Amino acid sequence: MPVLLYRVDERLIHGQVVVGWGAQLRPDRYVIVDPGLVASEWEQDLYRLGAGDASVEFVDVEGAREALPAWESDPRGSIVLTRDIATMYELARGGTMEGAEVNLGGMHHGPDRMQVLTYLHLTPEDQLQLQKLSEEEGVTISARDLPGAHRVGLKALVG
Amino acid sequence: MISDLAALGMLGGVLALDATSVGQFMVSRPLVAGALAGSLLGDPTAGVLVGAVLELYLLVAFPSGGARFPEGATATVVAVAASTGVDGAGALPLAVAAGLLWGQVGGFSNTLQREVTSRFVPEPSSRSVGSARVNGAHLFAIALDFARGGVVTLTGAALARFAVAQLAPTWPMGPAGSWGLVLVGGAVSGGILLRSLGGFGRRGLLFAAGLIVGLFGARLL
Amino acid sequence: MTGPVGGAASTWTFLRSFLIQGSWNYHTMLGSGFAFAMLPALRDLHRDDPDALDAAVRRHLEHFNAHPYLSDLALGAAVRLEYDGADPDTVRRFKTAVRGPLGSIGDSLVWAAWLPAVSLAALALFWLGVPGGLSALFFVLVYNVGHIGLRVWGFRVGLTEGHAVASRLARVRFGVWTDRIRGGAALLLGVVAGAVLAGDQGLWAAGPPWAGVGAFTFGTGLIMGQRAWRPAAAAVVAAVVAIAIWGIR
Repeated sequence: MPVLLYRVDERLIHGQVVVGWGAQLRPDRYVIVDPGLVASEWEQDLYRLGAGDASVEFVDVEGAREALPAWESDPRGSIVLTRDIATMYELARGGTMEGAEVNLGGMHHGPDRMQVLTYLHLTPEDQLQLQKLSEEEGVTISARDLPGAHRVGLKALVG
Repeated sequence: MISDLAALGMLGGVLALDATSVGQFMVSRPLVAGALAGSLLGDPTAGVLVGAVLELYLLVAFPSGGARFPEGATATVVAVAASTGVDGAGALPLAVAAGLLWGQVGGFSNTLQREVTSRFVPEPSSRSVGSARVNGAHLFAIALDFARGGVVTLTGAALARFAVAQLAPTWPMGPAGSWGLVLVGGAVSGGILLRSLGGFGRRGLLFAAGLIVGLFGARLL
Repeated sequence: MTGPVGGAASTWTFLRSFLIQGSWNYHTMLGSGFAFAMLPALRDLHRDDPDALDAAVRRHLEHFNAHPYLSDLALGAAVRLEYDGADPDTVRRFKTAVRGPLGSIGDSLVWAAWLPAVSLAALALFWLGVPGGLSALFFVLVYNVGHIGLRVWGFRVGLTEGHAVASRLARVRFGVWTDRIRGGAALLLGVVAGAVLAGDQGLWAAGPPWAGVGAFTFGTGLIMGQRAWRPAAAAVVAAVVAIAIWGIR
């Protein structure tokens, strides 16, 4: 299992991801798919601070789509993170992630966002893209902030 | 009696603030809260004793995020209020149990307070929000937290005082057993903490060295 | 006239940082507290333009979360960025990127290492016979030397480095310090366990069976971790209630 976890989390690398998921899955690297961070070294340095011993790579969506097969066959384990559902949807378009599971973590309160779970607020657009990810791209969707927490399936998130 | 309770309520309000809203100087930890509550009631030694027992229980309760653990300061002030002036071996276990129970009420009220605060806190997207509103809402939330801590502590102290005074005279166990009962519950936290510090595999040697120091120290001092 | 960065307005922001969790909420978490703490600095910067002040305050209301002590680092850096005239997007991006690491570093350094270590030191003193009031005073003094020191250091680093705080933070090696403190805490935990076992009001004095039960519950906590806490506390409360009812009968 070379990509150990695909996760959408507004805060990218933080305590829940590193201490919660990282301690359990023991990744060798975190891959952050975020076009805005690729060119910004000082932001990358900040995110790296929280990752402990694991390495952190920053890629844009195109780069990630090209590198996905290599990550999948790499013996080193990766956790792939995006800040929003739209980016994860772009990553999965055309069946690149077929059969994979996407985990939804923290998405906070904001304009047009509806509270679905205490840690998850979604826009109607988010919900539409989640449905498409599941129906068109063959990706399993579930929400769970921490590995030990209750897993919530797609139906409860878009219904 | 009434003025005692009012003072305990004030202390409860101040200590509730310390845990989250103001400062986090950790005077809300049970050991310190116990000393303060005990001094207020004229028996600091008894207060610290209750505080030290609850500190043992709450070694693993960190003030981050959710309210899964009892509110330490509330639990301690309530327990000290319940045990002070009560004779007999039952005072300590009854007071500790009352504190642990009421601490849960404190934790629940904390969650409720956060729900309420979420409703009036200024929204970044609202155009009408300005500096005065930010100042006011923030200070109001702090005042609310103080009132919450005070009311919860005062109510708990009154109830627990009554209950313990009723139950202590007929408590059937001796002092040794009563202490044992309370301490074995606290020992669970010791185990949990050792695990979170790295487990016996990583910290076993240090722990064992400390254990020897503690065993001999307690006998010699 | 706007004062210098690091002047009186910055000091007020630092003092207000002690209240940053005052309006903790589920929408923006520390967002409103961050804006509250930034107010003195923002007032200084926009003293002639109330509309600009309100707009700046609104920007700082957005979601923020971090360890309260290390949020001083973010506040210091935000003050620096505002005084340097950084564009709002840079400030927002900085706060977004810094909240995660400041949260995880602070949680492991303070809540999971420093707090239990000093708490155990005070408990060790108490169980070894030091008067309780002195043990409590020891806790408050030692704990807050670390606490306030961390806040002052963080705010200063933020003020001098601005958004480049990461390189300074990387040099501090928080991981090494955290590990050392945790090692010390394990040692002190041993001392407390020994003293609770053998002390005058300890488990052995209560009777050898109690020492056995204590060893068993300690082991249960060690194996099960956090999950063991609630059932154990509930069991103690239930036992106390049952014994009390038995006594009334």
